[in-house]
Amino acid sequence: MTGMRQAWLVARREMNERGRSPAFRASVLLMMAAVAAMLILPTLFKPGVKDVGLTGPAPPALAATIGQQARAEGTTARIHRYASLAAGERAVRQGHLDVLLTSARRLEWKGQEDQQLKAIVTTAIQLVTVRERATAAGISPAALAALLAPVPVTSVELGAVAGRSPGDETAVVVMTGVLFFCISVFGAMVLNGVLEEKASRVVEVLLARIPARTLLAGKIVGIGLLGLAQIGAIVLAALVAVTTVRSIDVPAVRGTVLAWVLIWFVLGYALYATAYGALGSLGSRAEDAQSVAGPVTAVLVAAYFAVFAMIAQPTSTLARAVSFFPLTAPMAMPGRIAMGATAWWEPVAAAFLTLAATAGLVLLAGRIYTSAILHSGPALSLKDAWRTTITRAAGTATQADAHATKTHLAKIRPRTGGSTTMTTDSTRRRLLVTVLTGIGVALGVVVALLTSDVIVGVIAGAGFIAVATQMVNLWTRHSGPPVAHH
Amino acid sequence: MLMFDAVTKRFGPLTALDRCTFTACPGRLTGFLGPNGAGKTTAMRAVFGLVELDAGTVRWRGRPVRAADRARFGYMPEERGLYPRMRVRDQLVYMGQLSGRGAKDVTRSVDAWLERLGLAGRAADRLDRLSHGNQQRVQLIAALVNEPDLLVLDEPFSGLDPIAMGAMSDLLSGLAAKGATVLFSSHQLDLVEDLCQDVVIIEQGRIVLAGELKDLRAAVPERFIDIRYQGAAPDWSLLAPATLIEANDGRARLRVGSGGDVAAVLTTLQDSADIVSFTYQPPTLSELFCEAVAA
Repeated sequence: MTGMRQAWLVARREMNERGRSPAFRASVLLMMAAVAAMLILPTLFKPGVKDVGLTGPAPPALAATIGQQARAEGTTARIHRYASLAAGERAVRQGHLDVLLTSARRLEWKGQEDQQLKAIVTTAIQLVTVRERATAAGISPAALAALLAPVPVTSVELGAVAGRSPGDETAVVVMTGVLFFCISVFGAMVLNGVLEEKASRVVEVLLARIPARTLLAGKIVGIGLLGLAQIGAIVLAALVAVTTVRSIDVPAVRGTVLAWVLIWFVLGYALYATAYGALGSLGSRAEDAQSVAGPVTAVLVAAYFAVFAMIAQPTSTLARAVSFFPLTAPMAMPGRIAMGATAWWEPVAAAFLTLAATAGLVLLAGRIYTSAILHSGPALSLKDAWRTTITRAAGTATQADAHATKTHLAKIRPRTGGSTTMTTDSTRRRLLVTVLTGIGVALGVVVALLTSDVIVGVIAGAGFIAVATQMVNLWTRHSGPPVAHH
Repeated sequence: MLMFDAVTKRFGPLTALDRCTFTACPGRLTGFLGPNGAGKTTAMRAVFGLVELDAGTVRWRGRPVRAADRARFGYMPEERGLYPRMRVRDQLVYMGQLSGRGAKDVTRSVDAWLERLGLAGRAADRLDRLSHGNQQRVQLIAALVNEPDLLVLDEPFSGLDPIAMGAMSDLLSGLAAKGATVLFSSHQLDLVEDLCQDVVIIEQGRIVLAGELKDLRAAVPERFIDIRYQGAAPDWSLLAPATLIEANDGRARLRVGSGGDVAAVLTTLQDSADIVSFTYQPPTLSELFCEAVAA
């Protein structure tokens, strides 16, 4: 198919040109190095051996007991003896010793005390002293051993979910953050790419050769593949680092979970990049990026926070809803999978829902993009782009098509721009914003009642109002025919 | 042959193209003329499917234009644009590939064009490192990389220096001589008159004049007399049926209605002044244009 070939050419250009930029290469290398460093460095600083100095009179069994206590706590204590207090303190000050024990009664540290080491040494002193006193009181060593036999106490970190620890929760937070970051970064690349093509006017040269949908699709695929390659490089760096130092032991990070994370990155990226691409076509210059893409960014951030609200309760109804709703699913579902809170069919069903939403969005976005991409001048309103189709999507111009367009265009009310129309438009807009604000407040109250959490309610209400007003602004940016060229 | 068949395009209340019908033929240069905002750019975009038509069809070789046809069309839009940070050769090869040509094949013709336009040494440079004139050349090559059968150029002469204009004229004539159909818009009527065999004049979305330039000029009943004289000016009022259009500095231009007695005018002139030269001609393209647009 020539369409596929053209889309692939567009995708390949995106990868070649972006991949060639020194800034991009440097950023990939930096991120790889940062991830590897984050995993390796803590193990290098992990204190394995403690140096304990002894000076002055001490019970003969103390050194051995300190060693036993240290082993019980999972570390090693090396004992050094010093003839004088001054020599011992010098060793502490020079950093050769972690602690100096003088006359078995006083601990001297260089700076802040090490709680674990303090416990080891003081427990050893207690034990040795108790044994000495027991012997003095005539208690036999066997009887003493029976008296002092330790009661086994185990400690478990429950976390919020059975079978998952706080470590898993941290892993999920990091994972969701990475997903959010990647979708935002690569979505923004699509947005800026579309705007650059418009600003440099190269888009008209391109559209004389290929349909607008092919151009948008190729751009999204190319940047997406580049993103996957970047994520792959980072994951590779992480895997190498982990196998080198074996410092990570988190059950939430397993092969199947990572595979799902990749799948959800692709799904989430496809959804948001399509929206970014379509809205990007509404602007004319790079400076328009933030204003035209505001709603998508707002939804993306709102989705990210919605996911945070449910990490602690991955089996709640709210969490279930958030992980199925296509806009939030790409960030919410991987977390639920990692927390072991899903039946096997849930991610599959959610993935299909998101795919269906993306397919719908592709149709919408294609229409907006093809309408707006050749428009120049002030940023276009969504309404104008939706109603007037300037650009043809596919290759042929048949009379049947022309006829269909005619009837479509006939439905557009003529916008003569008289003062009366302007006033009605702005009144209608104010009314709409008021109604939406009311709905937002009501939504906030309902959510607050349902979750019995005022903060969640406020976030939901305010988020809805923010996104809704942004959409209204975008929809009615300016009133005038969208075309300046003949 | 490119044919506009009753093409209509409306933007809201504005009719940009109003049942436009005209043709551009292979092997010939067709000048597309009209005041600013008359609909030239919209018409050219229609050839490439960049505007959705309300009615009518653009035909190529008798059939509505298809995507496969466009692979052999070249287009230089009025608003020039390429990727500023992409290298010249990569960019042109990319454009050729998008038109369906193989990489090797298109690289060969890109290199040939770069050589011909004196840009061979800049092939590996980023586009934005080139001078404005050289960027214009690259833009032209972008329209030519797929060896087009139809070349549509929106204001190809705007912003060119006289030497570049000459080169562009030669290049377009050469392409037409090899059988290409060339349609271009311009405001430089003298240049179009020298270069084009056919013209199309559009005004407020309507085609007001279209056809072979020679025939269009001949079809106008009026003729024009240009004279040069020495010494005192002749008495213009004696020259009926000729009327004076302008006179200064030993030159004058007169209009004669159809059937006017030119010999009598010449005799009268010779009696009343020292005439150096006398030419009798149909109107210039400028006059045709002003006449057509004013009507």
